[in-house]
Amino acid sequence: MRIIELTTFLRESRIQQHTLERWIEQRWIIPEDAERRAGLSDINAARACFIRDLQDDMGVNEEGVEIVLHLLDQLHGMRSAMQTLRAELDRTADAKSADAD
Amino acid sequence: MDAEVSNPYQTLGVSATASADEIKTAYRRLARKLHPDLNPGDKAAEERFKNVANAYRLLSDPEQRRRFDAGEIDESGNERPQQRYYREYSDHGEAGRYGNDAGYADFMDGDDPFAELLRRSARARGNRAGQDLHYRLVITLAEAIAGGSKRLTLPDGSVIDVSIPARVVDGQVIRLKGKGLPGAGEGAAGNALIELEVAPDARFRHEGDNLIVDVPVSLTEAVLGARIRVPTATGEAMVTVPAAASSGTTLRLKGQGAPRQGGGRGDQLVKLKIVLPREPDPELHDFVAQWQAGKDFNPRQEGA
Repeated sequence: MRIIELTTFLRESRIQQHTLERWIEQRWIIPEDAERRAGLSDINAARACFIRDLQDDMGVNEEGVEIVLHLLDQLHGMRSAMQTLRAELDRTADAKSADAD
Repeated sequence: MDAEVSNPYQTLGVSATASADEIKTAYRRLARKLHPDLNPGDKAAEERFKNVANAYRLLSDPEQRRRFDAGEIDESGNERPQQRYYREYSDHGEAGRYGNDAGYADFMDGDDPFAELLRRSARARGNRAGQDLHYRLVITLAEAIAGGSKRLTLPDGSVIDVSIPARVVDGQVIRLKGKGLPGAGEGAAGNALIELEVAPDARFRHEGDNLIVDVPVSLTEAVLGARIRVPTATGEAMVTVPAAASSGTTLRLKGQGAPRQGGGRGDQLVKLKIVLPREPDPELHDFVAQWQAGKDFNPRQEGA
């Protein structure tokens, strides 16, 4: 993760500052220091690009973005859980083959 | 680059005479399907989407479209610097603050290894669930059988009321959802895990799930039979002493013992113990002295 300047952030994500402020308000974007609304990272920029694509390229309205983000965050949560499970299964399989040896 | 990609009209699936609106509609439909962030696990999605996005950028700009139609430029000459997609961060666990376990939170509820793994995974992310806290609670045998509510004082001075279900066994764990440490970010609070310790009831001998109690009976009750009241783990019960009972005669109260692992209860065994009056009784003495059958009976003799 890399913290980036506001101007860099806006250039990379190709959005206006007032748009960013609204997205932070809606908690679509959560800066690293959420309380002080400071610390925009490259992760936030990538997420902002996605939201912009949803709205500009795919014609998804505000309500739709809310739903997409909610489901997408769940999907990533599931993927992370599956990665943990896979790592655990690999570990168990390794332990078994070591026992067999 | 294959033939399909080199023609932006084919890439978007529109005719060469398509209007600007038709091109936009076609692009939006494809973008909703192919955007890499909507397909986090599909590695090929990025390349497919890039072709579609490039085709749209070219055809949505009237001047660029005119030049392409006139053969002055081709589609590949017009690419933007590569965009890093959100999914790349999310898949490397860097977007923990957004990750959400609402899609499988119910799978984390169990006490099985699968649930434990999921809880560990959720904890590992930024929005991690709070730690579980472990407690031990001593309850009486009667509480273990009948259930009830018990107040537990936590180390920080706060109290929680623990609802104990009926028929719990020693070592059983009660999980109070959300009563553990608070989660980080939007992570759920951990659980309080309360291990129950069932204190033995001093009135009984505990043999496995069975409770054994010695109950004194009078000579009259033993000889003639009687209905007597005996203590049980949760109160009292009436039992029938059969006529001609001896010390050691055992009456079984089925299902009145301690809760059994896996459900049900053991039995209570009532062992009778004949007790003579504390003060010697002359009438009894005289009767026994001239009771011939009593003198002929030797309980230590084989077959008695």
